[in-house]
Amino acid sequence: MNNDLRFSALKKTPFHSRTSLASRTNKWYAWNGFTVPTEYSTIELEYTAARNGTSVMDLTPMGKYEITGGDAHHFVDYLVTRDLSEMKDNTVAYIIWCNEDGKVIDDGTIFKYSSNKFMLCCAVKIYNWLNDSAIGFNVEIKDVTDTIAALSLQGPTSCSTLKNYGANDLETLAPFEMKQFTINGYEVLISRTGFTGDLGYEIWTDPENAKSAWDSIFEAGKQLKIRPFGMHALEMTRIEAGFIQTNTDFMAAEDALRPVRMRSPYEIGMGWLVHFKKKNYFIGKKALKLEKENSTTERCLVGLDIDGDKPAHGSVIYNEKKEDIGIVTAAMWSPTMKRNIALASLRRPYGIKIKDNIFAEIYHPEEIEYRKIWAKCKVVKRQFYNPERRNKVPADLYE
Amino acid sequence: MSEKKYDAIIIGGGHNGLVCANILAKKNKKVLVCEARENCGGMVNHEIINYVPSIPNSVSQSIGGLNLKYNSKSTIALSESGKHIRLIGNQHLDHATIAKFSTQDADRYLEFHDKMSQFSKALGKFMLDSPPRIMNNSFSDYAKLFKLGLNVRMLGKKRFNEFARMIGLNIADELEDNFESTLLQGLIAHDSVLGSNLGPRSPGSLINLLYRMAVHGYSLFGGIYEMDGGSETFISALLDKCSKNNVEIKTSAVVKQCLIEDDMAVGVELNNGEKFFAKTVVSNADPRSTYLCLLGAQNLDTDVKRKINHHRSKGRVAKLSLQLNKMPEFNDCDDTDLNSRMVISPSIDYIEENFNPSKFDKLSSEPVLEICLKKDSNNNSSLDIQVQYAPYKVNGGWENIKNDYVNSIVKIISKYSSNIESCIENKTFITPDDIEQNYHVSGGHWHHGEIQIDQLFMLRPIPGAAQYKTHLDGLYLCGAGAHPGGGMHGISGKNAAKVVLGDL
Ligand SMILES: Cc1cc2nc3c(=O)[nH]c(=O)nc-3n(C[C@H](O)[C@H](O)[C@H](O)COP(=O)(O)OP(=O)(O)OC[C@H]3O[C@@H](n4cnc5c(N)ncnc54)[C@H](O)[C@@H]3O)c2cc1C
Repeated sequence: MNNDLRFSALKKTPFHSRTSLASRTNKWYAWNGFTVPTEYSTIELEYTAARNGTSVMDLTPMGKYEITGGDAHHFVDYLVTRDLSEMKDNTVAYIIWCNEDGKVIDDGTIFKYSSNKFMLCCAVKIYNWLNDSAIGFNVEIKDVTDTIAALSLQGPTSCSTLKNYGANDLETLAPFEMKQFTINGYEVLISRTGFTGDLGYEIWTDPENAKSAWDSIFEAGKQLKIRPFGMHALEMTRIEAGFIQTNTDFMAAEDALRPVRMRSPYEIGMGWLVHFKKKNYFIGKKALKLEKENSTTERCLVGLDIDGDKPAHGSVIYNEKKEDIGIVTAAMWSPTMKRNIALASLRRPYGIKIKDNIFAEIYHPEEIEYRKIWAKCKVVKRQFYNPERRNKVPADLYE
Repeated sequence: MSEKKYDAIIIGGGHNGLVCANILAKKNKKVLVCEARENCGGMVNHEIINYVPSIPNSVSQSIGGLNLKYNSKSTIALSESGKHIRLIGNQHLDHATIAKFSTQDADRYLEFHDKMSQFSKALGKFMLDSPPRIMNNSFSDYAKLFKLGLNVRMLGKKRFNEFARMIGLNIADELEDNFESTLLQGLIAHDSVLGSNLGPRSPGSLINLLYRMAVHGYSLFGGIYEMDGGSETFISALLDKCSKNNVEIKTSAVVKQCLIEDDMAVGVELNNGEKFFAKTVVSNADPRSTYLCLLGAQNLDTDVKRKINHHRSKGRVAKLSLQLNKMPEFNDCDDTDLNSRMVISPSIDYIEENFNPSKFDKLSSEPVLEICLKKDSNNNSSLDIQVQYAPYKVNGGWENIKNDYVNSIVKIISKYSSNIESCIENKTFITPDDIEQNYHVSGGHWHHGEIQIDQLFMLRPIPGAAQYKTHLDGLYLCGAGAHPGGGMHGISGKNAAKVVLGDL
């Protein structure tokens, strides 16, 4: 890896020599201090790979923190709203964590190796938060972002690709399980996780194996529609899957300048991850309990099914009286489902009790001019796309 | 849910804990006090305390009256030249005393005293009640600190402006503006920084003096007493009340943790594993150990932990006791002087130079001293000395440097008393580290936490915990770390009891 910052402000990931070779468009963006491709070829092709073949994304910039020590299990349970007390070794859990006001800081995944060792992954950097939260716990927190190379392989043929690569019996790995493999003489951790709402895996290895892993994986996926995949295509797949994106669908509590922009888990559809019954205290519990008891939740994050085929990017949502009741946080035309979908943050009771007679004001760009469209919306489940193969064990295999 | 035998369990039988216990018990509440030490009283102990304020009426009345006798003490600022300044807290006489040095200082002294006294009264009225509780550490907390001090407003426009100007100031500037006598400057500066982590030139050192005056009858040199029979008489009186009011007391009972059920404090667990349950738990322990040990860091939100971690509570006062085999002679002093509060603090610069090394957790060679001649019941005499700027966790540890340090203190005294060395039978020296260890006070701090603008009133001990409540429902604070602060007066114990009663 090139760590010489005199020449570039952004770091290169251990896959850089490969991703830059694969990039046909030279479109890059900065993520956590690294430079990675926004798109390699066209968004449509990359999206299609994720839905019909295997998409490969460089996940290295993701914030990765190793949490070790005698209190590691207690600590992660305290850190997040979800009850992790029963979490088993070699499994992964989707988590959110809040500040003391019960406002969401970020979401991510937690990997459990053993009661004394975990890895937390999330989109942004949270070292200070983890460290301050660890006061009073016997744990050590290490930022391992730079010392672990990571790829995400998603799509129906991802299991077959990784099997060809050398991950024997991978199809028996259930969703949210992880397993250590030795492939081509090096260690690779594979977890059945992802951000596309489909069958998919994430692989984690030492940066020195990165290039060889990339090459072997593309070789293994040659007949299985493998394709590198950038941030823009990811945005499409995650909306279809109904996954939330911090600082897109809501402001991270630590980043929001205006307190009114902070969101509780109930306001972003994450109430199911708040477990008051768990044995340990967790950060934000006091505030969240009050919110629940006093029903002070103000907003909600819902899925919208919108008339027509023009994506409602940034649209304001109205009721039938033309009163402003919320905003679209993410929108797209879903090629797979042939539906005009969006995620929207609405002022309750809209979205919860009132689900009809809601309208989006869409400004559709048409060569410098905008066409204003008044489109009827229906509140639907946020998870627009959820194929059966996503959770199937053993996973589907293809020749 | 466990059966709750008590209405309140009080962790720690310091004087504030005992005051609180009595008030609750007088209202027919069933109270248990768990004290870690063999005896109650906490730092109200002859080993620690020199001079005390009188117990405020509001406190003694709330526990049914106390019959305590005080001996009023005058103050003498020792000068190597023998030109000591003797002040007794009577404006008329003190004016005359100072006039002997400087007529200008004498007049200015009256003005200065009047102004400071008014300011401390403005704060003082506020002090005797519970402060408002404010949740966020926002700018408005600080704004309200001023707004809510209606009394402060009532100073009148001119005085209010002066108050607003001075509140964050250092005492040194104010003294130098007013007085020419460096000894007088040194004396008042000493009382402004005693027990704190500030030098006379540190911003905020003025508020420390206002606090001291508020406790000592709004006076600079009046309201300073020695209690007949020593400060422990107060503790005996409180313990008498406890037995009358059926307060149950367990000594040698170290509380390991506060028991929590459904996010409520429901009792305590002792080090030996014994558990007791109650409707409320009140902690006389300092805020840091209450939060991080008793409540438990694992039960606190991150931001609360950040705040309590930043809570400043490193002690800076050590105690030296010189047991005497005969009375020492002090230059140009008579018996009355010897029985006064003797202060060795010749100038502001002397204190500041002394303070400087303490910033780096180092020792200075010429500490600032407050000396108290004591006689015990067997008529044995001792000089008990508050040694300012003896850092908690001194660089390199106390063990290796203790002896040299004690000798250097004796050497300073010998500048004022030529025969002191020959009078010493024995020496006992306790450091802030010892106080932490023996009295269960984190940092061994005089006030269980600094008296500074960001740790006062509704911000004391930390934002969100004011009004004697903690971040855990059912757990309260009643010690010096809560509003208003330390010293022997029982105000926090009394105020906490009121809040607990309101919730019971
Ligand atoms: C060096 C020094 C000199 C001082 N000199 C003076 C002076 O001259 N005049 C004056 O007025 N003030 C003086 N003070 C200040 C005064 O002593 C204190 O402010 C006062 O004693 C505080 O009273 P309190 O009841 O709040 O707490 P404390 O007296 O500290 O009592 C707290 C009690 O709680 C107990 N406790 C703590 N944790 C536990 C636990 N886990 N389980 C059970 N029990 C526990 C402790 O053992 C202690 O008995 C001095 C302080 C120091 C450090």
